[in-house]
Amino acid sequence: MGKYHDRINWKKELRLLPGYIIVCAWVALTAAILFWIVCASLSSTKEILTGRVMDFSNGLKWDNYVTAWNTQNVSLYFFNSLVYAIVSCVGVLLISAPGAYVLSRWKFVGGKAIRIGLVIAMSVPTIMIIMPLYSLAVQWGIKGRVLLVVLYIMLRVPYTTVYLLDFFSSLSRSYEEAAYIDGCSHSRTFWQIMLPLVQPAIITVTIFNFMSVWNEFFMALIFTTSDSMTPVGVGLLQIVNAMKYSGQYGAMFAAVIIVFLPTFLLYLFLSEKIIVGATSGGVKG
Amino acid sequence: MKKNKTMIFLFILPTVLCLLFMYVYPIVRTVIMSFFKVESLTASTSTWSFYGLQNYFKILRNAGFISSMKNMVMIWLVGGIITMCLSMLMAVILTSGIRGAKFFKAAIYMPNIISAVALATMWIQYVFNYDYGLLNQIVKAFGGENVRWLGTDLIFWAMMIAFIFGSVGYYMLIFISGIEGIPQDLYEAATIDGANILDRFFQITLPLLKGVIRTCVTFWSINATTFFLWTKMFSPINTETATIVPVVYLYDTVFGGKGVVERDAGAGAAVGVVLTLIIIAVYVITNLILKDSDLEY
Amino acid sequence: MKKIVALLMASAMAASLAACGGSAQSSEATSTAPAESTAAESTATDGKKYEGVELTMWSMWSAGEVQANAIQAAADAFEAETGAHVNIEWKGRDVNTLISAALESGEKLDIFEDDYNRIGHAYAPYTYDLTEMADAVGYDDFSYACFNDQSKEWAGYLNSIVEQPQIGGIFYNKDVFDACGITDAPKTWDEFLTVCQTLKDNGYEPLALDGAYANFNFYNHLVRHLGEDTIAELGKNGGWADNEAAVTAAQEIIDFVNAGYLAEGAPDAYPASQTKVGLGTAAMVACANYVTSEVDAAVGEPVNWGFFNYPEVEGNVDASAYAGANSLAISSSCENPQAAFDFIMTIVTGTCGQELVDKGGQIPADTRLKESVLAGSVETLKNTTTPMSWCGSLNTLDGWSSIKSSMIELFEGKYATGADYCAYLDTLCG
Repeated sequence: MGKYHDRINWKKELRLLPGYIIVCAWVALTAAILFWIVCASLSSTKEILTGRVMDFSNGLKWDNYVTAWNTQNVSLYFFNSLVYAIVSCVGVLLISAPGAYVLSRWKFVGGKAIRIGLVIAMSVPTIMIIMPLYSLAVQWGIKGRVLLVVLYIMLRVPYTTVYLLDFFSSLSRSYEEAAYIDGCSHSRTFWQIMLPLVQPAIITVTIFNFMSVWNEFFMALIFTTSDSMTPVGVGLLQIVNAMKYSGQYGAMFAAVIIVFLPTFLLYLFLSEKIIVGATSGGVKG
Repeated sequence: MKKNKTMIFLFILPTVLCLLFMYVYPIVRTVIMSFFKVESLTASTSTWSFYGLQNYFKILRNAGFISSMKNMVMIWLVGGIITMCLSMLMAVILTSGIRGAKFFKAAIYMPNIISAVALATMWIQYVFNYDYGLLNQIVKAFGGENVRWLGTDLIFWAMMIAFIFGSVGYYMLIFISGIEGIPQDLYEAATIDGANILDRFFQITLPLLKGVIRTCVTFWSINATTFFLWTKMFSPINTETATIVPVVYLYDTVFGGKGVVERDAGAGAAVGVVLTLIIIAVYVITNLILKDSDLEY
Repeated sequence: MKKIVALLMASAMAASLAACGGSAQSSEATSTAPAESTAAESTATDGKKYEGVELTMWSMWSAGEVQANAIQAAADAFEAETGAHVNIEWKGRDVNTLISAALESGEKLDIFEDDYNRIGHAYAPYTYDLTEMADAVGYDDFSYACFNDQSKEWAGYLNSIVEQPQIGGIFYNKDVFDACGITDAPKTWDEFLTVCQTLKDNGYEPLALDGAYANFNFYNHLVRHLGEDTIAELGKNGGWADNEAAVTAAQEIIDFVNAGYLAEGAPDAYPASQTKVGLGTAAMVACANYVTSEVDAAVGEPVNWGFFNYPEVEGNVDASAYAGANSLAISSSCENPQAAFDFIMTIVTGTCGQELVDKGGQIPADTRLKESVLAGSVETLKNTTTPMSWCGSLNTLDGWSSIKSSMIELFEGKYATGADYCAYLDTLCG
């Protein structure tokens, strides 16, 4: 769209004014909320409850951040989420990439069924599958981080496979044919030639998977039985509740900011990639 | 190209296993479970007793489930219409050639990447607060009286507003990519024919976005049926009629919430099946109404 | 046999050597180490009572709350003394949504904390019989009969130990009462209304109320008019509209709301309204005594609290006050029930018990402890035989969540008359 912006065309801008007003209002609302939360995270409970957060007459309460960080295992929550997100992103690629590749390249018995199955699996509500998984986990005595990671990997497989499948389909077969003539085996061709070729797609899908796992809540709520495996989403809920009961509103908002910040910073740098991932998942779904 | 059967088998096996283990087996078991009397999720299958459609009758007679379904329909229909209109509006504005479109796009999408717990906390603890909340400040600035946003009357709508605010960005992106796929010369031709903005929107954009709208409706239906976290956040102490949704009802029934005396995994499974059937029905209906136009983007 | 003895000796020696090494190191590191710690470590060589025992406890507190700090300190002290390590999971108030599933799935869970009513009912099949261990320490002598009797009645045996006894009624900010020249706590509904008017005339908001407690408020009022049995009966079969006392009860609440005696914004989102009592804008709140510590924490300073029983109405039927408890229970799968029981005793008595009283602002679980905030509450509780429950059997009804919402609506002023409200209740009950 950049090409339209070479010169300010006032007539055109004026025509777009209603549009500007609407999006600006929307963004201003977001900004106002965030601004207030930041202010509140630096205020005392009493200041917050009496509506004087912008006041700061008693100084900035950086202690709130210390309290929020220390009273609960925030660092552990972050660590857990990081482990879940990284391990499942890698795991899901190891499963999905080869699967997507063969699905895109060859027709074979059941191939079509698998494709359809993947698309259906993407729209199955989690609650439909969570109950049997819960009883299996209890029956087999699997719990802890391993269980969640395995579930997250399998949860992301349908989306990732479908996404990569499209990319592999768009690649020309000439690469493989050349490699094959050179005596390269199919699987070597895949790992050394084809996989690097879809790198952009892999990066996009991984960022998107990372975000989904990082923010996942429902499964984490059901399958975490101890603090040692709680990810940030559920952890933040515990912090918010705890701070509410103990009347530490400043620390509560500080915790919200602490959890908000890493994703936000990541987003500042990767927003375009993330947006691309979100859209392609949508349109192809 | 030559087929290498072993390789195909090895490459596809993990995906197939995952589908079987994560989706096929659980779905089949949930469906079966919904026809049995099962008190606890962990009870072994030998203790299940056949119950026919009793689980379905039970939930359909339960006031909590009925209110949860009503709320879900409201979220799906009213929330859906508002979200789709807003997202479409944003998408049209952002593709109309305004400056800073990239920034606005990123800013409007942003709520999607934050933990929903953080987002909900911001709304509940700040925006909707009675004494110092943003909304009541605005109301007061216009000379109005403070409104009890989190009272029984409005809490559902408050929850819906917060949820919509978080969702618009995502659907906006999908619409944008749809609009960007529409050939520009169509618009140019229409402009030459003297069509104004509205004409162009209703005569070109909207019809050509059929496929995208269908996708959005499907996604929205999944979102509305799996609605959970926001209710948890808006009724923190115990589940309330005003905000209850089926998944929360299911969670309370299966895992036992406050004041839930007997747990019932069979009834929970029935809720899951009903929700899935609804998603399928919506999918089929939208496909019938919004018949595929042959254009692909 | 000789071999085994030799092996034991050798391992004991090894253990003592290791212990010596440990203490030597620690005393080097901190030259001012207190004498007790070395003493405690040397006893380790003699074999502490529960050496090697691991206990898992799920707590209803969240990390960082004063109660959690006190219990954690108790766990540390317990480990130092007996060698048993207690691993505490701070689950927060949501613990009640997790315990059932955990107990059932065989999660390793030795001690858990929740409302004694739920322990007596929902978790009863998974609880350990504490009667003998309790008798051994003479538990009856320093606990409250009303709670123990209830537990035995519900579960068939003593299955929980009270950690946080509660009484309910109306809690008020004494400073506000003083400022308005109110000296006597109201005993009847009419006196209560007069007090409200005085407060209002002096520019205070009389009664704070959060939506979460609307049901408790109205239930209290209903109990005065009807008694718990009648309420249970009406809840089960309906007939509210035909019951004159029920209609009057609802009408009185409607009049109360219309008179403007509720705090601005009430029924508010918890805990916005109750906090106003601490801020001194509102005067009273109907709740259980933990409201005092919550409000103190929110405003960051101790409020000058007063307490009186929920006022009696004309033709009063039942004047009993709410009493309940958060209690501790041991799961039947626990491998070391005695160790778990000893730890529970460490929490509810002695230093930790006193800490919970002083810092948590609660009523002593051990009647031998000193009261802090609400003088006389121990005596009141001791004399209680049949306490009022938290909404009785209503919260086991299918329509409970709708009934609960309707009670909030009652305080929102959505019903014109008591008869209207009762007619609506009838559509939800029976």
